[in-house]
Amino acid sequence: MASVVEAPAAPSGATSAVVRILRERLGDRVLDVREFRGDLAITVDRRAWVEAARTLRDDPELDFRLFLDLCGVDYLDKEDRAERFEVVLHAYSVSKKHHVRLKVALPEADPTLGTLCGVYKGANWFEREAWDLYGIVFQGHPNLTRILTHDDFVGHPMRKDYPTAKRHVLKRPKEWLLSVPEGSEHLIVNIGPSHPAMHGTFRIQALMDGETIQDAQAEIGYMHRNFEKMAESRTYWQIIPYTDRLNYCSSFMNGHGWALAVEKLLGVPAPPRAEAVRVILSEFSRIMDHLIAISTNVVDLGAITPFFVVFRAREDIYELLDACCGARLTVSYVRIGGLAADVPDDFEARCRKALDSIRDVTLQAEKLLTRNPIFANRFRDIGVMSADDALSYGWVGPCLRGSGVAYDVRKDHPYSGYDGYDFDVPIGTVGDCYDRYLVRIEEIYQSVRIIEQALAKLPKGPVITDDKRVALPPKSEVYSNIEALMNHFKLVYEGILPPPGEVYGYTEGANGELGFYVVSDGQKCPWRVKVRPPCFNIYQAFPQMIRGGFLADAVAIIGGLNVVAGELDR
Amino acid sequence: MATRVVTVDRNTRPGIYPILIGLRITLTNMLKTVFLKGASTVQFPEQKRPTSGRYRGIHLLTAREDGTPKCVACYMCATACPAECIYIEAGERPEKTIEKYPTRFEIDLLRCVYCGFCVDACPEEAIMMSRENDLVGTSREELVIDRDRLMERAKLVEYGPGYRPSDNDVRRPVRIAALERLKREHGIVPGPPAR
Amino acid sequence: MPRCTIDGKELEVAAGTTVIQAALQAGIHIPHFCWHPDLPVDGNCRMCLVEVEKMPKLQIACNTVVADGMVVRTNSEKAAQAHRTTLEFLLVNHPIDCPVCDQAGECYLQDQYMDHGLHDSRVEVEEKVRKRKVVDLGPIMLDAERCVLCSRCLRFERDVTGTNSFEFVNRGNVTQIATFENRPIEHDYAGNLADVCPVGALLSHDFRFKMRVWFLKETESVCPGCSTGCNVYVDHRDGEAQRLRPRRNVEVNRSWMCDPGRALYKDIGVTERLTGARVRREGGWDGVAVPEALDEVAARLKAAGPRSAFLATPQATNEDLFAFKALAETVGGMLDFRVGDPHLRLRERIDHVLQRADRNPNTQGALDLGLARDGVDAVLRRCAAGEIQALLLQGPELLRNADNLDAVARVPYVAVMATHEGPELGPAHAVLPASMWAEVEGTVTNFQRRVQRLRAAFPAPGDARPRWELAAELLRRCGGTLAATSAREVFLRLCASVPDYAGLDYRALGSGGRALRLEGLAAAEARA
Repeated sequence: MASVVEAPAAPSGATSAVVRILRERLGDRVLDVREFRGDLAITVDRRAWVEAARTLRDDPELDFRLFLDLCGVDYLDKEDRAERFEVVLHAYSVSKKHHVRLKVALPEADPTLGTLCGVYKGANWFEREAWDLYGIVFQGHPNLTRILTHDDFVGHPMRKDYPTAKRHVLKRPKEWLLSVPEGSEHLIVNIGPSHPAMHGTFRIQALMDGETIQDAQAEIGYMHRNFEKMAESRTYWQIIPYTDRLNYCSSFMNGHGWALAVEKLLGVPAPPRAEAVRVILSEFSRIMDHLIAISTNVVDLGAITPFFVVFRAREDIYELLDACCGARLTVSYVRIGGLAADVPDDFEARCRKALDSIRDVTLQAEKLLTRNPIFANRFRDIGVMSADDALSYGWVGPCLRGSGVAYDVRKDHPYSGYDGYDFDVPIGTVGDCYDRYLVRIEEIYQSVRIIEQALAKLPKGPVITDDKRVALPPKSEVYSNIEALMNHFKLVYEGILPPPGEVYGYTEGANGELGFYVVSDGQKCPWRVKVRPPCFNIYQAFPQMIRGGFLADAVAIIGGLNVVAGELDR
Repeated sequence: MATRVVTVDRNTRPGIYPILIGLRITLTNMLKTVFLKGASTVQFPEQKRPTSGRYRGIHLLTAREDGTPKCVACYMCATACPAECIYIEAGERPEKTIEKYPTRFEIDLLRCVYCGFCVDACPEEAIMMSRENDLVGTSREELVIDRDRLMERAKLVEYGPGYRPSDNDVRRPVRIAALERLKREHGIVPGPPAR
Repeated sequence: MPRCTIDGKELEVAAGTTVIQAALQAGIHIPHFCWHPDLPVDGNCRMCLVEVEKMPKLQIACNTVVADGMVVRTNSEKAAQAHRTTLEFLLVNHPIDCPVCDQAGECYLQDQYMDHGLHDSRVEVEEKVRKRKVVDLGPIMLDAERCVLCSRCLRFERDVTGTNSFEFVNRGNVTQIATFENRPIEHDYAGNLADVCPVGALLSHDFRFKMRVWFLKETESVCPGCSTGCNVYVDHRDGEAQRLRPRRNVEVNRSWMCDPGRALYKDIGVTERLTGARVRREGGWDGVAVPEALDEVAARLKAAGPRSAFLATPQATNEDLFAFKALAETVGGMLDFRVGDPHLRLRERIDHVLQRADRNPNTQGALDLGLARDGVDAVLRRCAAGEIQALLLQGPELLRNADNLDAVARVPYVAVMATHEGPELGPAHAVLPASMWAEVEGTVTNFQRRVQRLRAAFPAPGDARPRWELAAELLRRCGGTLAATSAREVFLRLCASVPDYAGLDYRALGSGGRALRLEGLAAAEARA
């Protein structure tokens, strides 16, 4: 583990263009440039914030058109910080394949900043979240209201001085998200938060003109539990069980992403066997997630057979997970630096069995759906999303690829040895529900390919790093010698102590780029953890997508977006 | 590997034929389910789905030969627990080799997230998990289980052992190697000193 | 002043400074077991080996005096190897005891294994030499197996208390520490033995198996046990004090504190604590809200005017005393604090280490603030003569002495601020619940006239409030004002009005406090 933050240095390679162009454009309003673990972080003056973001997006040499994440950070009483708050933007350039982190420091007395809603469409909800959790005011924001917490909530819970033991009784529901024009014949329809067609507890309120949706507003936060705040008082490995509850349809992948982010921070890689097993289980989880997305989507449209068909394969995958992890859904199988235990002896046989049943059910589902005229009529040209809008909203994963943008983290920034596997990236052309469906089906087959390759060359060896500052010692050693026992004790009560610094670790989750922005101050608990949940960006576009369409189409669209409340609300 | 981007084929031709195929699939599955016992569902609670030997169910405290808990109240499990659901109070045992034992050991099963970190953290092989996964209670107090309940063996027989300390990784053969080197180079075989 | 370079950092140190001290000044921690800043150097553990340029062999940093131009490396390959092997050697016979050892969490072995060891074990359990375990030495538990034979306890007994209880017995790998015939430790400083022991060989009996130390939060404070004012940490969890631990202050207590002081945390979380106000009504006590009780007390004080009397307590902080004095002056009553004449014993020692005869932390502060004004005897005389209509006590000391009760009985209204329930509160007509020292912000002035800070570790139980706040509320009801809403502000007002305290504030006090000028006989006494 390197011990110090690398000093401000001239960044190398592709990233130097970012710094050069920003310096040209903003001059001395670029305050600081740092590179840590390959992440480029640029701090700008708050007055240059919007201009800097616009430059990043528009300059043809930079082309940071994919909005990833925006969040607040509270550096209360940190001696090395001049200002208390910080706002952090993460963006990505699909064409140049590079990430950037743009930061701005805000004083406690006046935490205001210009809004980026005019630059990135996706910034809207993220800024509302930063206001909600940190009390940062975005000037010019069209609707700066609470988003994750209740409207009557007092205070900003992610602030470091928020009393965590404080309890609020919040009962008053927010009845109207929209206003009905005076004297109109329009009807307000609530879909959710508890509605069979909503895939989780979130809510859409639609203003109906007959069957047509005139206007729609979304409300989320029903399942908000502030995972990020809890993470600030847990050690790095205690956070692992919490990640299972993010996207619970593919829980293993969240832990995989978290472990990789922390390993990046530590500079300690997992051994090859652990990485290969992680890839196999992640791909199984992806398949499971896609199968759920597809089947529950068509259930909403009245076709229940595919649902029953594909859940057979899901059962086989769950049994595989149970055999490895000891749980079907809340797997908690990864550890920082590897895995909790080696896979069972019959791992390969179980995988083969699951693969057979996946092939079988996917084929059946395809036969049931792809050329089915009823299905095609409900899906074709419904919920069309252009590539530009998708990038601006920060869409990722199958939804972005459905819109024709071939961005897949596994290909463009391979992790866990994905560069050693041969697979294709499917993309759509129109960006409608049908394309998203086809992309998911194709991805299932690609995942099967990856798993087969990984199984064929599954390396032998340990499944967790031998770095004693990261991994618990083997139990036989703990029972029999004092050195391992002390090591064990220190790791349990003190946890892993990473170097101070900040990283953005990202993986291709089932719904797209799942990012963990981790800020460490060298202590046992992270100073800040920000999850960049793919659903959050995707669902944000939903109200706009359904405007002008039929109510029945809204149901078709939401299923295809595969929004998972655990990840959406965190 | 070179990035291969494939565009999905939208030019599928919907028609009446796919619907017939669909009906065939449905019918086949039905027949399989009815006549070939291919049902995926189980008749719970009469029938239970099998769980693996790593299953993380309700905890157990292991016992010494004399029936007292192996636990020495070191609080490692309570420290590692991300849900803060373990409550321990320590007392003194007369044996000088053991010294310490838990006078209270309670697990709040309603808080527990069944992550198994307590098992990972235990340095004494004192806590493990059973495969029991269908506990029912009618009040919160009932589901805070105490030391005696945790040491009950009957359930273990019924459900089988679940997640427990494993050592099936092949790390650190270092110590064995060091001992072999001692023997080879210096002729020293570690063992109790001759008196 | 010799100049040296340690790990690339250049620094200038006082002549005679050892390498380990110099490194600490530069913020570099050299691993060690036997070296202790307040004990003589022994150099037996060999853990602090460092590489010194132009010296052929590694040197122990604790006993190598910095010479001009010395270049020291504490983390070179050679030094790191030495740390690792020394540690491995110390662990050869160490029992597999972390689960049952209270030291886990503050153990030098654990810390240094993670920082400098990380080696694999080469010893089988069966090979380890067994020694005596669980030996009860009164306030201390001895486990000879865990001992690293650093002799810190021996040196403490020899040089600090002069009792020489411990000695090494046997030799070779069966060497262990022991007291003669296992006699218990009988002096008042036994707790320090557990503190100086870098491992789990000597542990506190009181703290035994009570709590794991990594759950504890520490708050800097000052012991309220006597006028010495030892610096301490209050270790607490979930609003409950679990133990007191000395905090190093070379000017006051070095690294030590006495056992009676250590036991003071036990008074804090007890059920006898007062959690609400009460006033006497016909036929008995009536629990009322604090503001209501304050209304009543203020009305009686105001009515009594110059026929009132105020007795402060040297248990209170300077802030409490300042507010109390302001109240007394506004009402116009008699004022004093010297119940039992603590000021006469302020600098009198009762042993040669730390303890003093005056069992109050702030007698000096009360003197500084001018609370010694009318004399307790004079107040009692006027009480006995029936000339006092209302008496406000800042603490129940006066009522604890049965000789005073006749006089107090002649006063028609007695109000008392108290922290604990007790029979002495019987004669009072109103009882106001006060916070204890670990629950308030404030300052106390010790026998050397060192102003030191108390910090609030956790909230007070129920409605208990700091005494200064109670006084300020009474003052407001009597028509005055303190113009301060926090202890910090009260202290600023105090510093503005007491010349000797001028220019001080909480920040200036820091964690070690600030010594004020002490003259004449007092200075000589304090130095003694």
